[in-house]
Amino acid sequence: MPVARPRVTVRAMRHLKWPLLDPLERGLMVLCALLLVGFTLVEVADVVARNLRRPWLNANEFAAGFFVWGVFLGMGVAVRRDQHFRLTAIAQTLRGARRTLVESFNRLVILAVALSMVVFGYRNYLTGYGSFLMPSLTPIAVLYAAIPVAGALIALFTVEELVNGWRHGFEGPEKVGLDPGQLPVT
Amino acid sequence: MDTNAIAIVVMVVTFLYLGYQGVPVAFALIAGALLTTTLFTKISLPSIVGQMFNGINQLEFLAIPFFLLAGDMMTEANITARLIRFAQVLVGHLRSGLAHVVSVSSMLFAGISGSMTADVAAISTVVMPHMEEEGYDPAFSAALVASASTIAAMVPPSIMAIVYGAVGNVSIAGLFLGGATPGLMVGIGLMVYSYFLGPPGLRKRRATLSEMASAARLALLPLMSPIIIVGGVASGVFTPAEAGMIAVVYIIVVLLPLMARGHFRRLPRDFMEAAVLYALPMSAVASASAVGWLMAYLGAPDIVHGWIEAVAGDNRVIIMYLMVVVLTIAGDFLDGVPAIAIFMPIIVSLSHLGHIHPVHMGVLIIVSLAFGLITPPYGLILLLSSTLAGVSFARALRQAVPLYGVYFLVISVIIFFPDVVLWLPRLVIPTSVGCFPNPGGAGYICPP
Repeated sequence: MPVARPRVTVRAMRHLKWPLLDPLERGLMVLCALLLVGFTLVEVADVVARNLRRPWLNANEFAAGFFVWGVFLGMGVAVRRDQHFRLTAIAQTLRGARRTLVESFNRLVILAVALSMVVFGYRNYLTGYGSFLMPSLTPIAVLYAAIPVAGALIALFTVEELVNGWRHGFEGPEKVGLDPGQLPVT
Repeated sequence: MDTNAIAIVVMVVTFLYLGYQGVPVAFALIAGALLTTTLFTKISLPSIVGQMFNGINQLEFLAIPFFLLAGDMMTEANITARLIRFAQVLVGHLRSGLAHVVSVSSMLFAGISGSMTADVAAISTVVMPHMEEEGYDPAFSAALVASASTIAAMVPPSIMAIVYGAVGNVSIAGLFLGGATPGLMVGIGLMVYSYFLGPPGLRKRRATLSEMASAARLALLPLMSPIIIVGGVASGVFTPAEAGMIAVVYIIVVLLPLMARGHFRRLPRDFMEAAVLYALPMSAVASASAVGWLMAYLGAPDIVHGWIEAVAGDNRVIIMYLMVVVLTIAGDFLDGVPAIAIFMPIIVSLSHLGHIHPVHMGVLIIVSLAFGLITPPYGLILLLSSTLAGVSFARALRQAVPLYGVYFLVISVIIFFPDVVLWLPRLVIPTSVGCFPNPGGAGYICPP
């Protein structure tokens, strides 16, 4: 009997997702993994080069680049996967109009934050051309760019859930209780 | 109340309202900061968003993905089961044997991942079913697993210690070594409690020498991972990030081929999961950094400093107890990692007031925040373990309350005897706690 391969894309709350965005989520997960691999290889190369007494001066720039982009892209994709940590899941205990109201309010707050990240992050990105990473003198804008990109992803995935929630309702087959994958890493 | 104080209250209330409404913590924090900035200050909003970047753009944080990846791979490849088996042959024959297995396994596993969540998930799934079979109350099992898992926040490679060191500019190696003794004390304290006051469980025969040798042989290679991490950092050969990277390479190159060859197919998925997993605390840190920065701008450290000075003067002991109260309450409402970033300006200010060593204060703060994660109303780690045990939070809480005595004791010992924290860093890496080479001879001179 063929064994079903576990899917990379999120399976929960499918009624709030557009299948069209599944490839984007998958691509982002792969990209995040590649950033982590790249980050690991940079650290390996840094240690090896240092022990060969030929230090790689740019190693920290590359590591910081992989790390910062990994954090902000991960922040974006975690919105679609609903992995961000919440203090409560009050909305999931509600039904009907109250549920729609609370779920909509929460997502509108996230959307406002996401748009702030896009607008103000973009302004930071532009000013980032005046500061440089040492020793390569690469504009720090290459790192600042991660914030508006993450903001755009968060906005996209939030709009996806808002539109589908308003069309199909936010209620769905949801599991009760805590999943270690949805808790902060403390 | 002046405008700054009102602004701070608005920011905190906004965060708590949004957080308890169900907005993810990272977004609730930054929303509170953006609203407060707009209403009460002349700071530009791009500066607040820029603080998110500054908050995580620190080399010390590079260690976190590696430790999470290492813990994830060890758990997914079922290598942690060997550590639990090793704990079983060591202490499984004692009264309340499986309770001791939980404490010892947590101490061993804590040295690999640095994450309490990973610890609870790994130990609950393996040990809890056996505890139920032996007649342990699942509520007690949940309380014990949650309490023991807090050791991960104290011993190296504690993620909270990395964040504290990076945000507070305190030696991470010093925090790693300084937290080892309190972590051990919590583990032993839980064992003592279980031995005298816990359920008896089924008495089992003591493992034979050959069984012990066999279990030790199987656990030896996984146990090398914490040795690499601690040894590398303590010897000064590696930074914490490099030690984490070497632990990851060790698992991929040595452990998986020897112990779980079939797991290689799952490796890409491990990387994908770890990549998102480390983004979660880091995005909370990014937002919390903006909040912490704004708090400092609004003078929150001075306000809290004033309150605490009025009560405690410069009495070190009272200041530390007040910090424990504040941080335990904060830990009730907030995860430990962002709490560190938010409270750091206040912590630094109070450390100066009481002339408290930064590593001593750091370890106390970390222990307090970890304790906050098993106390109500938030009690996140207790909530997780009670869910995994299939009991209500209230029932698990009733069983956890007596275990709080262990924490009160450990916290008091840390406050009254700073050497409990500082002796190990002074012995192994004296420079990590401010000691300097004696210009007139051998050894180091350490500040009091």
